[in-house]
Amino acid sequence: MIGPNGSGKTSLILALQRLRSLARLPLRNPPHREADERIADAPSAGLAACATWPPHKEADGRVADGRIADGHIADGPEISWHFTPPFDGVMAVMRCVSETECDFLDVVPLPSGAGRGDWPKLRVALAGIRCYVLDHRALASRSLSREGAELKGDGANLATVLAALQLHAPGAFDELREALCRILPEYDDLQWAFANDGTVELQLRLADSGGLVAAEHLSQGTLYLLGLLALAYDPTPPPVVCIEEIDRGFHPRLLRDVRDVLYRLSYPEASGLKRAPVQVIATTHSPFMLDLFGEHPEEVVLAEKHGEAAQFSRLSDRKDLTDVLDGGGLGDMWYAGILGGVPQECATQESAPPFETDKTDRSDQSDQTDQPDQSDERGEADNLP
Amino acid sequence: MPAPMKIGIISESPADEMAVRVLVEAVLGVDVKLVQPSLRARGWPSVAQVLPAVIRHLHFNTDAAGLVVVVDADDSVVHTAGHEREGYYHPRCRVCQLRGIFRQTTKRLPAARGRDRLLRCVGVAVPAVEGWYLCGRDHGVTEHAWTDGQTSGRMPYTRAQLKMRVYGTDRPSLAHEIECAMREVQRHRRDTRRLENDFPGFESMAKDLRDWKTRLATTASLAKSASLALAKPA
Ligand SMILES: [Zn+2]
Repeated sequence: MIGPNGSGKTSLILALQRLRSLARLPLRNPPHREADERIADAPSAGLAACATWPPHKEADGRVADGRIADGHIADGPEISWHFTPPFDGVMAVMRCVSETECDFLDVVPLPSGAGRGDWPKLRVALAGIRCYVLDHRALASRSLSREGAELKGDGANLATVLAALQLHAPGAFDELREALCRILPEYDDLQWAFANDGTVELQLRLADSGGLVAAEHLSQGTLYLLGLLALAYDPTPPPVVCIEEIDRGFHPRLLRDVRDVLYRLSYPEASGLKRAPVQVIATTHSPFMLDLFGEHPEEVVLAEKHGEAAQFSRLSDRKDLTDVLDGGGLGDMWYAGILGGVPQECATQESAPPFETDKTDRSDQSDQTDQPDQSDERGEADNLP
Repeated sequence: MPAPMKIGIISESPADEMAVRVLVEAVLGVDVKLVQPSLRARGWPSVAQVLPAVIRHLHFNTDAAGLVVVVDADDSVVHTAGHEREGYYHPRCRVCQLRGIFRQTTKRLPAARGRDRLLRCVGVAVPAVEGWYLCGRDHGVTEHAWTDGQTSGRMPYTRAQLKMRVYGTDRPSLAHEIECAMREVQRHRRDTRRLENDFPGFESMAKDLRDWKTRLATTASLAKSASLALAKPA
C-alpha cells in the first residue's frame, strides 16, 4: 500500500486488527450455532479480504459520537469485508457508533460459497491476523526463553523466536541463516547468549574476524531484516500479515531482498514450499520499493484521502498504466504525481484539476493546435545527439 | 596467463551483472575484474539518466578500460542494421540512445589515467535478458521472433512467459535468479556464435568488445613503439 501520510493506510491495518478482535466475540446476530464455539484449530486455507468503507453520516452531516444504543448503529459508518474462497459465502460488516469506534460485527450470508456455514472457520482464520510495527530497540532486546511461540507485534521476542525455530524446525532455520548471510555477507552465523535470568540474546558472527556482535549493536536495518526473516521462515505463518513501513532502515539495493522475503510469504510455491499463501499487507513510502512491483501493478494499492474519506484502488485498475510506465518506473511516476497518492501542497491545492478534466482540456487543445505527427520519430543526422 | 581486464558493468540486477560478466569474458577471451562498488541502474530510463555520470566517474576516478551497459529492450524499437548507417540515430531505439549518450559524454572528456577515453560496449536484450538465457534451449525464442511479432501484431511470448521459462516462476528470488542465470549462460561460455546469431542485440555488444581488443592491442603496440623510441640513444 502506498499513499501520502494520513491517507488511511494505517487505518486499514487498524480496521483489520479490529475485525480480528470482534471476530473473537459473540456476534450481534449469531448466524450459526457454531458461531460461539471456542477458537480452536486454524484452517489450512489462506485468507484474503478486501474492505469498503461507504461514507455514511446522519442526515444533518453530524457524526454520531460515543457509545450509543443498538438502534443508533444504523446511523454510524460501516466497514464491509468480503473474502476470497473458501470464505466467499459471507460478508462481515463492522458497524460503528462513530468514525473511530466500531463495536459490532454482523455476518451477512452471500449467494456464493456455503453462506453462514463459512463463519466458524472464517472466524478462526481471522483470529490469525497479525500486525507488525517492528521496533529496532524491541528487536534487539533480551527475551524470555519461554516467549518463543510467535513474534510479537514490535518484534520484542525475536531472539527467542529464532532460537525456538532452530530447535523445532532446524531445516527452516538453516534456510533463514543462509538467506541472512547471503543478504548481509559481512555475517556468517546467528548465535545466542543465554543468561542466568532465563533470557536469551541474539548475536551475529562477523565473517571476517569471527567476532560476535550483540543484537543491541546491530544496525536498525539488520534487526528489521531479522524480524522479517523470522516471519517468512516460520513453517506455520499467520494467514494475514500486516507490516508497517516495510522499507524502513534498508539501503535501496536491499529492497529487492525485502520484496523476496514478502514473496516467500505470499507465493510459497515459488520458493518450493507446500504451505498455504499468506496475505501480506505492507505499507511503504519508498519509490525504490514501488519500482520492484512494476511487473505486478495488481499487487499495489494506492491510498488517497478525499476530504474525510479514504479511497483505496489497485494500480492495475488504471487504464492508462501501460502508457504511464512507458515514461519510467513506478517509483518515478508516483513521485511525479502521475499515479496520485501524493501529499497535498498548500500552493497547489486549488490549481490541480481532477485527472479526467485535465484529459478533456488536453483533447480540446489538440483540436486547435497542429500537433506534430509522432507516428514516425525516426531521424537522420538532425536527431543525432 | 593474461592479466584480468578491469571494466565496469552497469546492469539492472546482480544476476544480470554476473551473467553478463561471463558473456563478456567469453567474447574477450580473458578474465575481467569489475570496478568496485558495483554499478547498478533502476531499469529504463534510469540507466540512461545515470550513464553520463557513470562514464565520467569511471574515466576520471578508476582505471577501468571500458564500460559494458546491458539493458532490456522491453517494448522499445529494436535496433536494426539500418540504424548502423553513418549518422543515423533512432530516438526510440535503446542501442542508438545509449550509444548517443556515450558519444556525447566522451567527446569532451580530456585524457585521464593514461587513456584517451573509456571504451564503449552496449548490449540490449530483446525483449529481456531472459531471452538470452533461453538461447540454445528454447529454439522459438529469438530476437527475430520478437520483431516479427511486433510487425504482425502477434507477439510470440511475453516477458512474463520468458521469466516463467527461465525461473519456473515470474517472481523469482534474487538467489534463484542468479542460480538460473549462471546455469543458462554456461552454454555460451566457450562459444557465443549461437547467441550472436539469434540475438543481434548481443551481436552488436560482442562487436563492441572485439573492437576493444583491437584498440587495446593498437594502444599497447603504440606505447611499446614510443618507449622503444625513447630508449633509443640520440
Ligand atoms: Zn538503433
